[in-house]
Amino acid sequence: MIHDAQMDYYGTRLATCSSDRSVKIFDVRNGGQILIADLRGHEGPVWQVAWAHPMYGNILASCSYDRKVIIWKEENGTWEKTHEHTGHDSSVNSVCWAPHDYGLILACGSSDGAISLLTYTGEGQWEVKKINNAHTIGCNAVSWAPAVVPGSLIDQPSGQKPNYIKKFASGGCDNLIKLWKEEEDGQWKEEQKLEAHSDWVRDVAWAPSIGLPTSTIASCSQDGRVFIWTCDDTSGNTWSPKLLHKFNDVVWHVSWSITANILAVSGGDNKVTLWKESVDGQWVCISDVNKGQGSVSASITEGQQNEQ
Amino acid sequence: MKLKEIDRTAMQAWSPAQNHPIYLATGTSAQQLDATFSTSASLEIFELDLSDPSLDMKSCATFSSSHRYHKLIWGPHKMDSKGNVSGVLIAGGENGNIILYDPSKIIAGDKEVVIAQNDKHTGPVRALDVNIFQTNLVASGANESEIYIWDLNNFATPMTPGAKTQPPEDISCIAWNRQVQHILASASPSGRATVWDLRKNEPIIKVSDHSNRMHCSGLAWHPDVATQMVLASEDDRLPVIQMWDLRFASSPLRVLENHARGILAIAWSMADPELLLSCGKDAKILCSNPNTGEVLYELPTNTQWCFDIQWCPRNPAVLSAASFDGRISVYSIMGGSADGLRQKQVDKLSSSFGNLDPFGTGQPLPPLQIPQQTAQHNIVLPLKKPPKWIRRPVGASFSFGGKLVTFENVRVQAQQGAEQQQQQHHVFISQVVTEKEFLSRSDQLQQVVQSQGFVSYCQKKIDASQTEFEKNVWSFLKVNFEDDSRGKYLELLGYRKEDLGKKIALALNKVDGPDVCIKEGKQESEFLPSAGGTFNISISGDIDGLITQALLTGNFESAVDLCLHDNRMADAIILAIAGGQELLAQTQKKYFAKSQSKITRLITAVVMKNWKEIVESCDLKNWREALAAVLTYAKPDEFSALCDLLGTRLESEGDSLLQTQACLCYICAGNVEKLVACWTKAQDGSSPLSLQDLIEKVVILRKAVQLTQAMDTNTVGVLLAEKMSQYANLLAAQGSIAAALAFLPENTNQPNIVQLRDRLCRAQGQPVPGQESPKIPYERQQLPKGRPGPMAGHSQMPRVPAQQYYPHGENPPPPGFIMHGNVNPNAATAQLPTSPGHMHTQVPPYPQPQRSQNGWNDPPALNRVPKKKKMPENFMPPVPITSPIMNPLGDPQSQMLPQQPSAPVPLSSQASFPQPHLAGGQTFHGIQQPLGQPGMPPSFSKPNIEGAPGAPIGNTIQHVQSLPTEKITKKPIPDEHLILKTTFEDLIQRCLSSATDPQTKRKLDDASKRLEFLYDKLREQTLSPTIISGLHNIARSIESRNYSEGLTIHTHIVSTSNFSETSAFMPVLKVVLTQANKLGV
Repeated sequence: MIHDAQMDYYGTRLATCSSDRSVKIFDVRNGGQILIADLRGHEGPVWQVAWAHPMYGNILASCSYDRKVIIWKEENGTWEKTHEHTGHDSSVNSVCWAPHDYGLILACGSSDGAISLLTYTGEGQWEVKKINNAHTIGCNAVSWAPAVVPGSLIDQPSGQKPNYIKKFASGGCDNLIKLWKEEEDGQWKEEQKLEAHSDWVRDVAWAPSIGLPTSTIASCSQDGRVFIWTCDDTSGNTWSPKLLHKFNDVVWHVSWSITANILAVSGGDNKVTLWKESVDGQWVCISDVNKGQGSVSASITEGQQNEQ
Repeated sequence: MKLKEIDRTAMQAWSPAQNHPIYLATGTSAQQLDATFSTSASLEIFELDLSDPSLDMKSCATFSSSHRYHKLIWGPHKMDSKGNVSGVLIAGGENGNIILYDPSKIIAGDKEVVIAQNDKHTGPVRALDVNIFQTNLVASGANESEIYIWDLNNFATPMTPGAKTQPPEDISCIAWNRQVQHILASASPSGRATVWDLRKNEPIIKVSDHSNRMHCSGLAWHPDVATQMVLASEDDRLPVIQMWDLRFASSPLRVLENHARGILAIAWSMADPELLLSCGKDAKILCSNPNTGEVLYELPTNTQWCFDIQWCPRNPAVLSAASFDGRISVYSIMGGSADGLRQKQVDKLSSSFGNLDPFGTGQPLPPLQIPQQTAQHNIVLPLKKPPKWIRRPVGASFSFGGKLVTFENVRVQAQQGAEQQQQQHHVFISQVVTEKEFLSRSDQLQQVVQSQGFVSYCQKKIDASQTEFEKNVWSFLKVNFEDDSRGKYLELLGYRKEDLGKKIALALNKVDGPDVCIKEGKQESEFLPSAGGTFNISISGDIDGLITQALLTGNFESAVDLCLHDNRMADAIILAIAGGQELLAQTQKKYFAKSQSKITRLITAVVMKNWKEIVESCDLKNWREALAAVLTYAKPDEFSALCDLLGTRLESEGDSLLQTQACLCYICAGNVEKLVACWTKAQDGSSPLSLQDLIEKVVILRKAVQLTQAMDTNTVGVLLAEKMSQYANLLAAQGSIAAALAFLPENTNQPNIVQLRDRLCRAQGQPVPGQESPKIPYERQQLPKGRPGPMAGHSQMPRVPAQQYYPHGENPPPPGFIMHGNVNPNAATAQLPTSPGHMHTQVPPYPQPQRSQNGWNDPPALNRVPKKKKMPENFMPPVPITSPIMNPLGDPQSQMLPQQPSAPVPLSSQASFPQPHLAGGQTFHGIQQPLGQPGMPPSFSKPNIEGAPGAPIGNTIQHVQSLPTEKITKKPIPDEHLILKTTFEDLIQRCLSSATDPQTKRKLDDASKRLEFLYDKLREQTLSPTIISGLHNIARSIESRNYSEGLTIHTHIVSTSNFSETSAFMPVLKVVLTQANKLGV
């Protein structure tokens, strides 16, 4: 059973992960599909994969029910494990790389309720910060805010280090979405609690920045609801939810397009729908994705797999 | 992991799955007395609040009941979809009574909470279950084989599922089938289970293993498979769970023997059929897979038995267990640490003892400390297998280029039956196209650019324009491609030359005509007499007299002043003309200063050619007039600036209408960057089509500017770069990667564009084509494989990432900043053969810190070099003659560079860009020095800083050639040898300042550079002590100005040392000493 499929930065490589404990990387250039690597190292179903920005090389992170996060790296054409993070007591459900502007930082959300942040400090070393009890009985998703310097980009005096404020969102089994912010002392503080869902939050996705002052987060839940949260004020403290749709089944996953104007929503009924905000601010379903239809399409078939 | 605790000895029921928030109802247990032996009873409702980290459950309501309970269930009957009504609590009492409570009323604190009550049963009602298909149907079981089916809508008269089983026995369990709504099962302590068909109104099958040891304490149907059920036995001799399939009812399908003593309760998860909870008299709570018999999880419990266990219907990871020690515990089966529990214990102890002085010893107790070992115990591992509810079956993620990756796991039913299911695993990559109009318009634009059919395109746009403004903009743009563009602009502003001529003629004939005639007549009449009559020259003391006197003495200036003073303007001007150009100009100025009429300022400007004044100070309502004036009079070289200025004024005006008009000014000025800024301000540019609107104009204007003003439009400002990359991003997001690439400005160092270009090229599935950018524009960060040890490139590790990478729009230079040339050091090096070892330390455009306004990656602003000037400017002064050994860095890459002195520098530095653009006015001057270049060795800036004033600074080429591809941090020169450098450099400076002929200067300048080899050797400390001491001797002799002594020492050093060691710098030192001697500095 495949649990995640993610393309790299360029859209030329596809990483998949599965219940059979494997992580696979395919070359999908020009509609082809060549298996480049079959990465073994997890001892349980692998839930998510995440590509790091290519400025750090070809790096992939994967997280699994085996409580581990593994960071894989391609070196001279060969993929190998470069780091293993074993700091969680339960299934690690979500991994997400921070905007590359911050360096190589990975956020991991786990069923043990904690979120850990791995920062590469050089020399093959990773520094771990852990937020305990972030979400009681489990964090299901983490998603970083885009790297935006507060205030206008244009006003930034030249030559100075941009004063980024690092933030990410997480969703969990306490039905909450939480926003976390790194304080000046490097500690992570809960900045906001967003309450609207009446059941587990399955996924959160912070929309990419398109240069507007508005921040946007999409969240989906076991309760079938998808909310779009927006925050217009610069302090980032007032978030208002808007119900995109109430589905009849669990909504597992939400994903923004690179230009942040389309949201792909994946539901438990194996349906994927695309949503777009109309001029009057309403969210409209623009398409049920016919899988494999379109001018570019490729299909990767994995045979029967050994369910764990 | 334990989440919550309630100190009650009670039966428990979770609120139905629909209900939010989650409640847990507890009713005082009839069978178990707690330690107080209290006979009072209560029904309580708690809320499960997982955002509260403490172990306490939030109590919502308590209802003092006269009953104690054997069984408590919470049905969803009459709940609406919004969950406003919180269902029905159904309780089995001690004396054959079933009581229905309204939980919402209990929570509200009402006194009347009982909906209905019936005591038809005999003995305690131990078994209750709600039909999940018809939630108004409740089955109950009591003594004497009594089973009733209750309709909550008609509670008075229950039904029976059929004739009572014989012999009469207690009904301990009852359960509705989970797949077929009319099937019910009951079980009794005697070990027999009976399956009833309500349609037939009779038992259809009896299940028993005939061991007589089964003592049924639990019964549960398979959540998915209609014919399967489990029975649990309380008997210590047979502490098993039997899995039965009714199709093979002669013996159990499977027997789970995981408990050591009798099982008291079981619960089958509705969310995952592979999870069955059981608790027994061995004080264990196990979670096993009834389909395999494997134990997946053992809950950490204390040594107490649990008599009731329940899954939370809404939160599948949560369960509750009631134990004989008077506690209901809520657990999660997902593992995790149990810090909360420990904290509660600490709190309890603390509150009992406090930190005060409970024993009156006079000393407060130390703070309570929890032994460390408990911490290790508290890590609770999760289930051995992942529960169904965390296995994500479907997903869709966007990736670059508008591709959508979707995966699904479709179950395909195989013939063998439900258990043998095959799964299809597919990942699909689809192209998402949402902006069809945008794409087609973009396509059109691209075609126009290729076919050069700008005029017809503009005309089409004019015809299709919806608004006057839009029409204006396109008309203005169109004019750019036509002859006599200024005249046409004027026409557009409403000043048609022919019309004006007609108007003037009309005006002269009608109104002014006669007036003029009269004046002329007057003039004649005045002049004639004076010419003919007597001519009285008065020299009286009045003004006339004074003027006369001044004139007579030839003092025109005073005469003019007097006339002006007397407001005789015409006299003053006439006199001034006679007094010469200078006086005329002064007089004009004075006249204008004095004169206040409306039109004066315009006249002022016309006469003084001071259009800046008009543009700066005219009323903005008259912007058309101002623009018209500029169009008519302004010289070509100031035309654009004036249009710009007017545009800027309009833009800064609060009036939004005027703001948009500024666009027209910018179009006249050909200022693309400002047009973009203004447009963006005026229009909402977030939607693809409005961006398309803008880009259409920008592309056309850029083409126009290219054609008419011959400027290099390939340089792109920050804002335009932002818009262009936004546009390209949009195109890319629609899958038009090739189009996106075509629209991206080619010759630019804007980081966001370089990044996007790279991304697009790679997304096309090809290595970046040609020489465009052979390497990815990121700093490749080295990430070693877990093994520690120094690695190359660690100095650039993301510890300080912000200094290395700047996102789009950061640090833009002030607008209008003019930079000559556009040198990209990386483009220069990119074409060099680079060994892999340099990969990681290459300084790429991506993370380039911008410390200087003159940095190479600053957006170059307008570079208005007229076409004719291009060719001569493009030829470079010859490169100073350098020999290979003089390469100051010794950098292997630099040495690979062609060393021909006449190598045209623009070629080597710009070759990665298409040649035609190079001709677009790229000029090279010495100011290219990239001060912000972190890897720039200090030696390179030296000559510039220390070169004598007036000395030719010929190192531009040098610098371009040797731009390092590596970040090289040079070691400092050891302190003790620093004196050498300062002395030699000081000497060269002195020579330079007293040298007169350029040849000498060049020699010295050259020498200054070549001495870098010496300094490098000093840094590396590779020179032998004899040479070093010799050099110090030379330095001393220089200080005493005894240059001939210095030369002697020099000869000695050269003759005694290894030639290869000194050949790089000794000859040049000799040159310097000789020169110094000659110049006598």
